[in-house]
Amino acid sequence: MDKVLEVKDLEVSFFTHAGEVKAVRGVNFEVRKGETLAIVGESGSGKSVTTQSIMKLIPMPPGKFVGGSILFEGQDLVHKSDREMESIRGKEIGMIFQDPMTSLNPTMKVGRQIVEGLMKHEKISQSDAKKRAIELLDKVGIPMPDKRANQYPHEFSGGMRQRAMIAIALATKPKLLIADEPTTALDVTIQAQILELMNELQEEFGTSIIFITHDLGVVANVADRVAVMYAGQIIETGTVDEIFYNPKHPYTWGLLSSMPDLTNEEEELTAIPGSPPDLVNPPKGDAFALRSAYAMKIDFEYEPPMFQVSDTHFAKTWLLHRDAPKVEPPPIVQKRIQYFREKKQGKGEPNGSR
Amino acid sequence: MSKQHINIDDIPIESLELVDVRADDAEKITRPSLSFWKDVWMRFRKNKLALSGVVLLILLLFMAIFGPMMTPYNYYENNLEAVNEAPSAEHWFGTDNLGRDLFTRVWEGARISLFIGFSAAVIDLFIGVIWGGIAGFRGGRLDEIMMRAADILWAVPYLLLVILLMVVLEPGLTTMIIAMTITGWINMARIVRGQVLQLKNQEFVLASQTLGAKTNRIMNKHLIPNTMGPILITMTLTIPNAIFTEAFLSYLGLGVPAPLASWGTMASEGLPAMRYFPWRLFFPATFISLTIFAFNVIGDGLRDALDPKLRK
Amino acid sequence: MAADREKIVQVKNLSKHFNTGRGNVVKAVDSVSFDIYKGETFGLVGESGSGKSTTGRTIIRLYEASGGEVIFNGENVHGKKNTKEMLKFNRKMQMIFQDPYASLNPRMTVADIIAEGIDIHKLAKNKSERMEKVYELLVTVGLNREHANRYPHEFSGGQRQRIGIARALAVDPEFIIADEPISALDVSIQAQVVNLMRKLQKEKGLTYLFIAHDLSMVKYISDRIGVMYNGRLVELAESDELYRNPMHPYTQSLLTAIPRPDPDYERDRKRTHYDPKKSNPHDEEVEFREVTPGHWVAFTEEQYNRFVQRKDQ
Repeated sequence: MDKVLEVKDLEVSFFTHAGEVKAVRGVNFEVRKGETLAIVGESGSGKSVTTQSIMKLIPMPPGKFVGGSILFEGQDLVHKSDREMESIRGKEIGMIFQDPMTSLNPTMKVGRQIVEGLMKHEKISQSDAKKRAIELLDKVGIPMPDKRANQYPHEFSGGMRQRAMIAIALATKPKLLIADEPTTALDVTIQAQILELMNELQEEFGTSIIFITHDLGVVANVADRVAVMYAGQIIETGTVDEIFYNPKHPYTWGLLSSMPDLTNEEEELTAIPGSPPDLVNPPKGDAFALRSAYAMKIDFEYEPPMFQVSDTHFAKTWLLHRDAPKVEPPPIVQKRIQYFREKKQGKGEPNGSR
Repeated sequence: MSKQHINIDDIPIESLELVDVRADDAEKITRPSLSFWKDVWMRFRKNKLALSGVVLLILLLFMAIFGPMMTPYNYYENNLEAVNEAPSAEHWFGTDNLGRDLFTRVWEGARISLFIGFSAAVIDLFIGVIWGGIAGFRGGRLDEIMMRAADILWAVPYLLLVILLMVVLEPGLTTMIIAMTITGWINMARIVRGQVLQLKNQEFVLASQTLGAKTNRIMNKHLIPNTMGPILITMTLTIPNAIFTEAFLSYLGLGVPAPLASWGTMASEGLPAMRYFPWRLFFPATFISLTIFAFNVIGDGLRDALDPKLRK
Repeated sequence: MAADREKIVQVKNLSKHFNTGRGNVVKAVDSVSFDIYKGETFGLVGESGSGKSTTGRTIIRLYEASGGEVIFNGENVHGKKNTKEMLKFNRKMQMIFQDPYASLNPRMTVADIIAEGIDIHKLAKNKSERMEKVYELLVTVGLNREHANRYPHEFSGGQRQRIGIARALAVDPEFIIADEPISALDVSIQAQVVNLMRKLQKEKGLTYLFIAHDLSMVKYISDRIGVMYNGRLVELAESDELYRNPMHPYTQSLLTAIPRPDPDYERDRKRTHYDPKKSNPHDEEVEFREVTPGHWVAFTEEQYNRFVQRKDQ
């Protein structure tokens, strides 16, 4: 069995004075050993709540697990006590955040923070831990690691802080690393460096990664598989090629065609109209139907099931029903699908989309 | 959630027709409209303790207005035949050493104590908001001068300042209020300045500037409304503070002159007779405590209700 | 073709220095010059700390310039002005802000926010005319009348940004500075705002200065792009030219760092690294010059000579 994590029918709600906010509404996914699963979605789509639930970092109340299970190496985390979670968090599952300043202790030297993490979870002597800390800082590309280990987080630049954060997260060789928008706050050139680093480290450590982001460019860079979230549900999931070159859900189409591609000359951007639904009263049926140009009558009655497209590719839209009308995706998406077909037939050039 | 499942094979073919969706529908806001203060009130209402503070305060205010009218006595007339009487059907709270009805005097005193408290708060508010607002908004050299001036005044020992003031001015209600506010506004000014400093670089203020708004407009429409929360909290905490200071000054003999009664003067008069006629201290002291308690829980409740971190 | 077009804004050697105390001066903007033609979108890109936002804010006079000048419609923006002249200027030049949460006063209704310009410039005779204008603006930006009496916190990020656009449009400006108007928005919403801005440009003949760090969106919306680094303009060219033929090493590194929504491209993306110490090791004087028509680059003498040689070959 090579599944590291399996999330089943997860439902998480927040109880506020405006009512029950159904932030996660029945999410299923799995993470296999050594792969990167990217979860894409807009703010409020439930992607961060989902991963914070895995770490059990949701404040309760107002948050509450309404249903489902989170199986990490076969054990259900939903029913773990805080004490039990402490030994999993930071040891078995590491996490890096968008803003490293919120998770680094500002009053403690960076090296010390790695040492503390190591000594908490492993039987290791102080001096060995220190050696390991410096090795790790070196590994994440921090120059002069022995000097840097004795500095405080505020003496690091944004990119360096994120590197230090990665060093801390990887110190105990976790089986799963959750990265919540780790590059969103960084400049593009720094972002590129951090992404390269993460790809390298994953190869070396064999860690599974859940990478949360709203940036499709970043997804294309890091992901093996992709799950697209909308209104608290996963609406399409597949390998990175399937999602980018053969998307099936109108929301995924919308995302891909609302982004300018540097290579396109005069394509008009197709914006998705409206705003995501209020999750206090999620719409009946398909939550995306109200904003979709491909909505059908049934979308307003029944929630679509996950239709299977291939062994790895699933999408939650009635368009995949065998009797559904055949619709034309937006032009940018058609170009992608065309590229996908050629690629599958072995005719595709590696830079055919250019 | 209401998940309705349908067998895929049961779907009537006509329900798979495409329909036109009005983009407008996706812009609809389903939640009822809530202004900021309505939202604050909704949260405040849930705080039982703060709500009981409000009820207590309303009762106290009611009694301050109508209490003195409930008895046939007044607060100043001596009655040497009924000196130091214990609470009875005749005199609900007993009488003092000059035979004055304590029930009447307590509510008469409530008027004065609450009046001092509220006027101190209002004057603090007025001076503090203007001073802190200008210092924070103008910034630079002017801010430096204005805040240093406030610091210097703050540095003078308070008691010394009050005693000096009493020497120069006649003791009385006005003097008492001046004594309360002479340094009281500084706290408000500091809070307002801090808020304004933070707010003036917010993009909505910049937007107003690029539209050509003058200082007055920016102050009144943007800065002060967004500082109202902290101002209100400071005010609710200023009032009990003033009432307490008044009692303290009265005890030093710097209170309102006889036969006027404030809770402070009554308590200080009652103190020497505590052993034999405890009611003379008990009633004013109890109401001072209750009032301070009421304001403090209201202030705490407001702070929780205004906390933006809980806001979503 | 550029020479005969009307210049709406001329930025000449504009500098903005901030005094950070103890004699430290940060040169946020350091002698930047460019022109913006009427009806075009001029993109200004750069990473954090490059001075792009400060440039925008100095142009609209939220900051006083430390040096240089900004000529708007033939008049110096930073010269001495009386209230009336200043008000006139405020109507012609407007701004859209980055943070859809911080740019709307949470205590005001949407109607009052949008009508702020109308109130300041007294553009409505009475209450009903004022509300008519507000409704019209709401519809222009794709919202409906019912939204007028609601408060900002009830709206999503994209809706708020459109309210901010309506506020700027209320005074009928000719030139709008958009300071990172989409970087705080979700991808699907970004396109909404960009499409709206383009629509408004066509309908009202607006000129934009579009400031952003996301080069892909800037390239899409802009006619010409200036690239800023460390308070200076390092390259300026038409969008396609800049994208196809970046000459400054910093622009090259920026272009190769952007991840694209294309897994096959990402698999063999080659990034070039920019190190100012390597490309200009002796810290020589750089000059911003037009190396090919309409394409300006900040080159040192040596870099320029090398460029000329390569071109001649």
